[in-house]
Amino acid sequence: MRISLIGRVAREEMRALLRSRVALTAGFILAALIVTATLLSVEQRNAISTARAGYQASSDEAFDAQPNRHPHRMVHYGQYVFRPLSALAFFDPGVDAYTGNTVFLEGHRQNSANFAEARQSSLLLRFGQLTPAFVLQTLAPLLIIFLAFASVARERESGTLRLLLAQGLRPGELIGGKALAHLGVAAAVGLPAAIALIIAVAVGLTPPLASLLLVLAYGLYLAIWAVGSVLASSVTARGRDALTVLMSVWMVTVVLLPRSLPEVAAARIDIPTRIETDVSIARELKSIGDSHNPDDPHFAAFKAQTLAKYGVATADELPVQWRGLVGMEGERLTSVLFDRHASEAFAREQSQNDLVRLFGAISPVISLRQASMTLAGTDVESHQDFLGQVERFRYTFVQALNLMQVQQIPNLNAGEDPRIAAHNWQTLPSFTYVAPDTLALGAGRLALNIGILALWLAVLAGLCVPAARRLGKVSQ
Amino acid sequence: MTDLPKAALEAVSLAHSYGATRVLDNLSFSVAPGEIYALLGGNGAGKSTTLSLFLGLITPTNGTLRVWDHDVAADPKAAREQLAYVPESVAFYQQLSARENIDYLLTIAKAPDLSRATIDGALDAVGLARDAWDRRVGGFSKGMRQKVAIALAVARKVPVLLLDEPTSGLDPRATAEFNQLLQTTRERGVATLMVTHDLLSAAEIADRIGFLSNGRIEQEQAASGAERFDVRTLHQRYVHAGVSADEAA
Repeated sequence: MRISLIGRVAREEMRALLRSRVALTAGFILAALIVTATLLSVEQRNAISTARAGYQASSDEAFDAQPNRHPHRMVHYGQYVFRPLSALAFFDPGVDAYTGNTVFLEGHRQNSANFAEARQSSLLLRFGQLTPAFVLQTLAPLLIIFLAFASVARERESGTLRLLLAQGLRPGELIGGKALAHLGVAAAVGLPAAIALIIAVAVGLTPPLASLLLVLAYGLYLAIWAVGSVLASSVTARGRDALTVLMSVWMVTVVLLPRSLPEVAAARIDIPTRIETDVSIARELKSIGDSHNPDDPHFAAFKAQTLAKYGVATADELPVQWRGLVGMEGERLTSVLFDRHASEAFAREQSQNDLVRLFGAISPVISLRQASMTLAGTDVESHQDFLGQVERFRYTFVQALNLMQVQQIPNLNAGEDPRIAAHNWQTLPSFTYVAPDTLALGAGRLALNIGILALWLAVLAGLCVPAARRLGKVSQ
Repeated sequence: MTDLPKAALEAVSLAHSYGATRVLDNLSFSVAPGEIYALLGGNGAGKSTTLSLFLGLITPTNGTLRVWDHDVAADPKAAREQLAYVPESVAFYQQLSARENIDYLLTIAKAPDLSRATIDGALDAVGLARDAWDRRVGGFSKGMRQKVAIALAVARKVPVLLLDEPTSGLDPRATAEFNQLLQTTRERGVATLMVTHDLLSAAEIADRIGFLSNGRIEQEQAASGAERFDVRTLHQRYVHAGVSADEAA
């Protein structure tokens, strides 16, 4: 391989592309699309972020401003929490649109985003928003195919292949030069998005390493299409054959598989609906214990333990409110059930996603999307992390109110409408979402998905060797 | 071109088959420096296969090929560096000008001299109008493209020229211009092997004509005297060498 000749072939290919008005126009349109998508996405992300922060502040304010009440009423008055968007959500909003980001927290219940949206959230590959991720994942390969499908086939069809080989150029050098040129095209296609990320890092908006890995993942993905297109152009007899092959590959791997695989996964691995989960939890709760039934073995044992702890004979003699203690125990029991059902649902979602990920081996876009969402902190795992934090907060919040009831509401003769002071509400902490370290949270998945992309590129580059041999033969 | 070899091109007992089909069978001929050798033959006679063998694009089943004393099988790179090839359908990069095409192909050929003066000198030598030098080749006639192809050979300063059906599709005036161009390259000492159907053109410019049939040179005739060749006799030989009269016309 003579590097200088590969470079010269690449230079001529680039010159041909630059002299083609159609290629330039298509490239300009795509660049404009990426820039537009980036600006719109940043604007949209900021708007959503501001709105959610506003809603969170008003919800917290409304809670704190509640008058004197019975703590149990406050347990059901509840609190709303809103999931803040990650910094890189502008680049790839991921499953955000499908999972719901508002959770109503109250006692005895685990609401909204958890189970009700589970089916939908597991279909993580539906999309449609004009975002940089969408343009790069779906539309950029089309431009690369369009510019590269004829790269080698054109030489053969026009007769210049024989002319080049007669000058001593090796087929491998020709394919190498064409691939180099179209890798340059791929880099140019990804450049506007890379610049947007660099600016975002420079102004401190996005984390540097995650942004860099995004550039790497998308770079690998676009390189796969560039090398794959040149390879197809090398092994097909005519440019139009290469175009047909590449368009078919695009339709199957970019359009069909990412949409159909989640459906297949959902059909194969069932996740119970919200109603099914509620019924199941209610049934299990009944079997664990009924606090209103004096003969219930669990609560009878709990009562005996409590009386022994306080050294009294009856609940009426307790120095704290018995009903509040029962409420706390009930919350503890339901919470264990919620956690288990949530874990089971998460595990099922995980199984669905694992099944989809398996197909990353046959569709690089699946690997890219997984890596992209992981890095952007908008994947299912990040959402599950949010739900985990919310549930932990909900339990603490409800139990804190229950404790107020236990400690501040008299056990006996509390009156018709016992209440505690309003300032108590302000002592409760507000929900503070701690954004997970996406790199740590998804390190394994990230390594796997970027590894698959690198493997794809290596395999396609390796296939160029037999393609070059074949090209030498067919040129005879 | 000092120390000229006895034969610029030489095929010795050449044989080649495509699968079970034997295309060349014991083909032997040579072309001396400064000589124009026309290889005539019908469709499928093996003319283009012979060129591909000299170009090193395919390997012979048997026999030896030499280009300027370099064995094509043993040292294809050295052999290829000595020759320029002009295909029947002269293909260049349509979006590039004549100058840009020659510059690109000279680089690919690793020619020692890539200077603008060399390129311009070559274009001038083949008689391509100056106003066409910077025009895109896409708008060139076949005759003009052939001039660019010969200019490439001139710029590379190669001693051997391989031409595949060079006059096919040219009108009589363009054919005459092309023959004049070959006359010029002959004067520069370039050995030319042209494979063709065009008996008249071959008779006008070639120093020797070989009739390729059944995979070998069935007959060979050298030019002599002022008339060079007796075209009528040549035609008869052409037909008897296994080529139809239609093809010979």
